[in-house]
Amino acid sequence: MKISVTERKPGVQVVTPSGEVDMSTSPDLRKILVPLFSSGASHIVVDLSAVSYMDSSGIATLVEGLQLSRKKGNVRYSLAGAVPSVEAVFELACLKSVFEMVPRIEQLFEGDDRA
Amino acid sequence: MESIELREPVILDIPADPASLGLMRGLVERIVHRMEFPREEADRMVLAVDEACSNIIRHAYGNLQGGRIVVTFGIYDDRLEVRIRDFASPADPQTFRARDLEKVRPGGLGMHFMRSAVDEMEYELPPDGGMLLKMVKYRVNKEVPET
Repeated sequence: MKISVTERKPGVQVVTPSGEVDMSTSPDLRKILVPLFSSGASHIVVDLSAVSYMDSSGIATLVEGLQLSRKKGNVRYSLAGAVPSVEAVFELACLKSVFEMVPRIEQLFEGDDRA
Repeated sequence: MESIELREPVILDIPADPASLGLMRGLVERIVHRMEFPREEADRMVLAVDEACSNIIRHAYGNLQGGRIVVTFGIYDDRLEVRIRDFASPADPQTFRARDLEKVRPGGLGMHFMRSAVDEMEYELPPDGGMLLKMVKYRVNKEVPET
């Protein structure tokens, strides 16, 4: 699994893991995701569009992010672009409605670039 | 319809190492594809076997290297039987519970994913140690064999 972090615009950090997120790779995602909540970011997005597989350890890592977001109170936390097989794991865990999840990452920023 | 049944089981013997999980999933994917399970059921079976092996690595072997996991696939016309064997100190299966899904917290989902995927699931304590998890998924909605 590869993970990139980009600053989409000031204060908005986008974490993009690619490949399979399982017990072997979720610690790497956690190492990158958790510190972002102390980085001063106002919005953290996990772009899941390149994730082909996710198990409960991946879900647990993303739930930990949700808890940090709630604890901080001022950090928006969104998941974007989950492919159907990954989205199905969220549904199975009854967690789909708990996260802010959008089908495409662009949907989070539509209208932001208007003058 | 052509039979997909194999006379002998397919046996995968892997180290109890998270790095083995991807290889194991690859085999499960090929088996459930060959058995023509619907996509969603196939994905859930892959997840279930992955979660079972992850639990063994994390809880039975305590993330320590050196343990092994033997996964045996019985491929029949009407069902897939998966037996997952470890050789760690056995635990009480009664303590293995899926967590309350109402509570949003990390962890505890693996057992729920496993139970959701299969028609039958049971633990056995082999006399020579370790644990054996047996999971069965029927190719059509569960049919009780005629006796």
